[in-house]
Formats: sequence, structure tokens, C-alpha cells
Amino acid sequence: MNPTEIPLKSPSSVTDLSIGDVEQVERALIDASTRVPVLMFYASAVVWLLLGTLLAGFTSFKLHSPDLLSNVSFLTWGRIRPAHLNVMLYGWASNVGMGTAIWLMARLCRTTLRHPLLLVTGGGFWNLGVLLGICGILMGDSTGYHWLEFPSYAAWTLFVGYSLIASWAVLMFRFRRGDPIYITQWYLLAAFLWFPWMYLAAQTMLFIVPVQGVLQAAVNWWYANNLLFLWFGSLALGTVYYMIPKVIGRPVYSYHLAAIGFWTYAFFASWTGMQRLVDGPFPAWMITASIAAMIPVATVGLNHHMTMRGYFPLMRYSPTLRFTVFGAMSYTAFSVLGVVISLRSFARYLQFSEVSVAYSHLGLYAFFSMIMFGAMYYIVPRLVGREWRFASLIKIHFWASVYGIGLMTLMLLAGGMVQGMNMENPTLPFTESTQSVLPYLRGRSLSGILMTVAHFVFAYHFLLMLLGLGRTASVPTFLNPVNPEPGEMVAH
Amino acid sequence: MKGFTPLVLGILATLAFSWLGLAYIPDLQIGHLDPQSDEEGTDIYPMPKSGMAERGRRIYVANGCFYCHSEQVRADYAASDIDRLRDAAPSPPSKWGDRRSAPRDYIFDRPALLGKMRMGPDLANIGKAAPAEEEAPPVQPSPANPANPAPPGASPPAANVSPPPGNAPAQQNAKPAAQPSTPTEPGASPPAANASPPPTNAAAQQNAKPPAQPSAPPAPATSLPATNGSPTPANATAQQNAKPAAQPPTSPAPAAPPAQAAAAPSPAASPSESPAPYSAAWHHQHLYAPRSVNLDSDMPAYKFLYEKRRVGGEQSADAINLRGEVAPGEGWEIVPTYDAKCLVAYLMSLNQSHPLNEVKSAAPPAASPAAAKPAAK
Repeated sequence: MNPTEIPLKSPSSVTDLSIGDVEQVERALIDASTRVPVLMFYASAVVWLLLGTLLAGFTSFKLHSPDLLSNVSFLTWGRIRPAHLNVMLYGWASNVGMGTAIWLMARLCRTTLRHPLLLVTGGGFWNLGVLLGICGILMGDSTGYHWLEFPSYAAWTLFVGYSLIASWAVLMFRFRRGDPIYITQWYLLAAFLWFPWMYLAAQTMLFIVPVQGVLQAAVNWWYANNLLFLWFGSLALGTVYYMIPKVIGRPVYSYHLAAIGFWTYAFFASWTGMQRLVDGPFPAWMITASIAAMIPVATVGLNHHMTMRGYFPLMRYSPTLRFTVFGAMSYTAFSVLGVVISLRSFARYLQFSEVSVAYSHLGLYAFFSMIMFGAMYYIVPRLVGREWRFASLIKIHFWASVYGIGLMTLMLLAGGMVQGMNMENPTLPFTESTQSVLPYLRGRSLSGILMTVAHFVFAYHFLLMLLGLGRTASVPTFLNPVNPEPGEMVAH
Repeated sequence: MKGFTPLVLGILATLAFSWLGLAYIPDLQIGHLDPQSDEEGTDIYPMPKSGMAERGRRIYVANGCFYCHSEQVRADYAASDIDRLRDAAPSPPSKWGDRRSAPRDYIFDRPALLGKMRMGPDLANIGKAAPAEEEAPPVQPSPANPANPAPPGASPPAANVSPPPGNAPAQQNAKPAAQPSTPTEPGASPPAANASPPPTNAAAQQNAKPPAQPSAPPAPATSLPATNGSPTPANATAQQNAKPAAQPPTSPAPAAPPAQAAAAPSPAASPSESPAPYSAAWHHQHLYAPRSVNLDSDMPAYKFLYEKRRVGGEQSADAINLRGEVAPGEGWEIVPTYDAKCLVAYLMSLNQSHPLNEVKSAAPPAASPAAAKPAAK
């Protein structure tokens, strides 16, 4: 593929004043048309984020203090944990991802969003589905499949909502102006097409025409890893391909690499599911294929690092850039850890330890959520017409999140290794392995407190924006005082 | 990228390819396994679980047990799972498993709860760890009633299995039949109560105190409703009626002296002793107050699966034997709800010890070395 064939509206062209005015107006119109649905997705995402954070803290504390409120059936650990997980997956992450994707789609297709009420309806169904699902789990209706715990009534509500949302995202392509399809659009379009595919396939093979025995676990993890990579991962990577060039005012390092990266990702990431079941009761080739597929997936982040080269100092000023770059870096850490823990010699020890929890959090928080925070810092001011009120709150959010997820990852990795080594040593009693991980789990609870602070600060700040209490200013809120002509001023 | 259409096609094709690879082809390869049997077609493994155990699986899932307990034993070359002994070691010490798990072990499981985390021990063979007299009877050929079709309340895959002859129905029947017999319908249950062979689960264990009882031919007809017919209401009444039922005159099933039954629900235990590890009574005590069984346990208590009530007259036969600070206090007793009994029935049914032709067993060389090629290596 010839690199010049890959169309990219070069972010640097934005500085061209001859077309600048027209584009400004056009963007303002597009932003206005997306205001209601995107803000609704964001607002519901933030509410779920807070709820999920509280559930997470509860889960974490109960793990090392098992007697904490254990006498009520709907507060038992085994129900709170899936509730936390599903709130985060379908309440927070999917909502914020879809909100961002809709906004990006509208911007990149250069078209106003038609019939926003349909999207709002879809979002309503989606949130209703999540609510039903969480109640179902707490009442003991969980299905027993990882990341698919929602009982069928919630699952189908969710799906109806999703169909409304996705069909609009895809239809937006019909109304797009100009033929060029930017890299971000590939990822977003792919995510919107992949999700119903995998969701329907999993629902069909697990509940409607259930497959036999261990294959349920295979289908389950095929779905779960695809949800992680092809849904959340695509949404986040697409966002990165937009945000980094936009904020630093420099095109993507290599379009060629971007194209290769996209198809590598699409091809291999979908094969990684069995990585979670190393040496389980399956034909060995399935597991080997998944392990092998992890390796190319880890290379996809390269392009972002190359694009950023020389521009890292800008992270001092731009909140969007800071969150986004942290997330993009975490992608590499996440996928490299994914390779390591699935190698058989490591899986022997780490397969059933807390390391897999660290892995999921690296993917869903350090990678996905941080990128989405960055996107919200970029998009929300454009929707409400105000700038973020306090740079200090953004800093608190960033550092509390970073220290929180960093500490959590360290604690779970270290604790998981100790746990795994003890578990693999049959001369020790089994409880030795669980006892030895408890101090690390207490450390993890500490990190959870940090992240709780981060999320409440962020939610407060977001609420100020929703209420129109942001700053009225012509320049975005920078984290630190800035001299003229940093990238973000251009991109604004 | 030239245009919209190739992009969309490419996007759909990549996922379709992985679906083919990781879901469809494996389904062709291991998705339609039948239970294994010997030449006479009698020694059948695995068997569908009883209705009570299946209901127990729902309880297990609903309370998220599978987030901390795996149900898979990895091969000896992959991990030391099969060398690991259980903490509360009875004698002889019980291992996590004698052989690795294989796809065939799970053909009736829905969902198959392989697990991803071991904050608690692996449970693939927890039923095997039970004291010998309580262990779910190994599947033995019993030419009796081969005509009984697919067992009640079995998981749907049962449809593609040849009707399991042998004592599958017998085993099926034993559990549900024994359960309601304790307190509920004194008139209806005597035959069913008699039908219980060596106790197979919690409920059976409690009222099958006299093991000498002749194992009468199972009565399939009575067991079917007991399994499928809504057990909850029956249970509710069971709980309410339990007191009178436990009184000597009306109690139909347990022939044991009530005093002894009240003191020691576990068969082997004297009043002051703890139940034998991994027996049904042990599971109940462990679920109700984990740290009264193992100080180092990190398991939450599942007290909401148990009922605390006043002892009127005699203590009921299935009350948990608790001492120390978790004891309910004078005049009170803790009895398992029907859900708890089902959960324990499920736990007791977890047993992958039967040799499989495709898996090399550590203990008994059941299969010829040639046939012992690990299919799921």
C-alpha cells in the first residue's frame, strides 16, 4: 500500500488561515449537533465510574477482610466483584468509549449528527440494560461466564440499545463528506462492527445453542479478550490516533505503519482469547495459537511513540496529551505483560494468581480509561463551550490515577508472583499462598483509595462543566503556564 | 485504504477468521464428545449430575464461588497441581487430582466453571476428597433398570448422549429422594428414604444414619417430581415443619435415635469432635463459618445460606455442629437451607477421579500406554 494513498487530513493544515474560518464554523456546527448525545454518554459513564469505583473498593477490602458485611446475600464478595466488573465494562468504559467515538466520527466524517434523539434512546436502553444486569447479578442471577454475567433480560436490553447506537455510528459514514477515511475511523468503524459480532456469537454459543463443556470456556474467553482488544482496544487506539496528532499539531509518524498496525491488530488480537486458559483442558494448538498472536499485537503501539518523539515536553501543558500518552504507553506495557504471562513457563506460576487481575487493570484502566479521560478533557470543553475550571483538579486527577494504577499494578504483580510461587510448591499448604498475598492486597486497597479520590475529583470537575461553571476563555486550560504557540492552541 | 467496502469486509473477515479458529473448529474437534464406557457399555463416565447438584451449581455461580475456585487440574508437565495435597488432610491424604482434567470431564457442565483464579483451592475433585463412606458412589455397572431414559434435570447435552444405563438413575434418584424425606411429607416419603444407597450428599448423609439399611430398588417415579418439581416451596415448608418432623413419633426416615442425631450430624463424629474433612457436614460448617474450620481461610462466610432458629424439643438432624464463638447459643440451632444443601450436593458431586482413556492417570494404570496419548495436551 502506498503511503500517499492513505488519506489523512493533516492536523498541521489546521493552521492554514485561508480555510481556517470555514472549518471553525463547520466544527462548531458539528460539535453542537453532538452535544446532547455525547454529553449524555459521558454523564452516565461518570456516574457508573463512581459506582464502579465504590464497588471496586468494597471488593478489594472484602478480599482481605472476608467478614466485612458478608452476611447479606447481595453484598457477598462473589456478587460484588462481578457487579464492579460489569459496571466498569459496560457502564463506564463502553459509555465513555461510545460517546468519544460518536464525537470523533462526526468530526472526521465532517457531518452533523442527524436525529440525535435516536442515539439518546439507544443510550437509554444501554444504561437500562446495565442497571438491570447489575441488579440481576446482585440478586444472584449471574450467568457464570466471565464478563458476560448479565442475565439474558439485561443482555438483550443492552443489545437493543447497542444496535441503535452502532447503526447510527455506521450510518454516519454514508453522510460523510470527502472520501478519505482516516486511521481513527478504521478503528472506530471496526469496533462498532466487531462488538455486535462477538456479542451475538457469544450469546448464541453460550445461551441459545450452548456448546459443550470446556468449549463454553473457550467461547467465553474468546469473547472476553475480544471485548478487551477489539472493542475497548480499538476505541482507545482510534482515539489516540486522533488526539496525539491533533494536540501536538504533527501528522502520524507513518501512515504505512498505521495501516500495517491496524490489520495486524485486527488479525491477531482476535486470536488471543485462549491466552487466559494456558494448559487448561484444551487441544494444545488453540493455546499455542493464542500465545503466538499476542506478540504482533504488542507491536501496534510503536507508531504512537514515534509520533510523539520530540514532543514529550508538551505533556507538561496539555491535559489531553498527558492522559493520552500515558494510556498509549500503557498499551505497550499491557500487551507485553500479556505476552509474558501467557508463556507456558510463566503461566505455570502466574495462571491462577492475582497477576491476571493486574493484567486486566492495565488494559482497562492504564490503557483504555486514561485515554478516555484524555479524550474527555479535549471534547467536553468543545461541547459545553467552557474550559475546564481548575488546572489543579486536573493535576490531582492525573497523579492520583497514575499513582493509583501504578501502585495497584505493582502490588498485584508482586503479590501474584509470591502467591504463584507458593501455589506451585506442593510442599507448602495451600493457604500459605493466599496468606502470602494478603499484605499485597491491602496495598492494593490503598491504591484503590487513591483512584477513588481521582475519580471523585474528576466527577466534580465534570459536573462543574455540565452546569456551565467552566471558565469562559479563548485558550484551553493548561496544566502549567505556557508561552504562546504550543500545539494545543493551534489545534483548538 | 481505498474505500468503505473493502474496509468493512476486512473488518468482518478478521473476526470471522478468529471465530472459525477458536470457536468453530474446536467445536468440531472436541465439541461433541460422548461419555466413555467400557466394552460392555456399563462403566460410564462422566454422568450428568443430579437435579439437586445442578441446582447447587446455580448457587455456586450466583455467589461467585468460581471467581476464587478453579475446577481444572493441569497436567504434571505444566504445573504441580496433581502433587498438591488438600490442607485439611484426612487419612489417606487427599490430592487435588490424580490426573489432569480433560475436555471429556466437562461434557455435562453448563456452565463449565474452569475458573481463572485460585484464592481458594481447586475444586475439580473436592467430592473425591470426602470420607469414603460419603463419597459419591463411583459409577458402577448395575444392570438394573436400563430402560430409564435421560435423567431428570440433567443438563441439555444429555440429549446427545446415549441413555446412560447402569446406575445413573439410581444415583440420580438417591439424592433428591433422600432430601425431602427428612422433614416434609412424612406420608409420601418412606419408600424414597429407604431408597438411598450409601449416602451421596448432604441431605442423604443426614438421614441415612443407619448405613445398614437395605438399599431398596430406587423408585424413579417418585424422584422425578422431587428433582424437577419446584423444590423451593417444598423447602420452605420443610424448614417450618422441621421441628415437628424431627420429633420421634412423626419422623419417618431416620431410624437413628434422635438424641444421637441431634448431637452429631456427621456419621463418624462424636459429639465434641469436628466432622471429617470434606464430608457434607464439614462443608456446611466451612460455608457457615470458614475460620472455625481453618484459621487461615480467606473465604467469606455464607451465613445467608443458613437459618438460625430456636430449638423446640429436639434439635433437628441437619443442624450444624458449631462450637466456640460461632455457636448459635443455647436453645438455638443453625440449619442449612435447601440452597445450602444443593450447594454441598454440587460440591460433593465434583469428582474427576474416574480414569479416562485419553489421559494418563497417575494412580491406576487404567489405560494402555498406547491409548494414553493426552488428547488435550
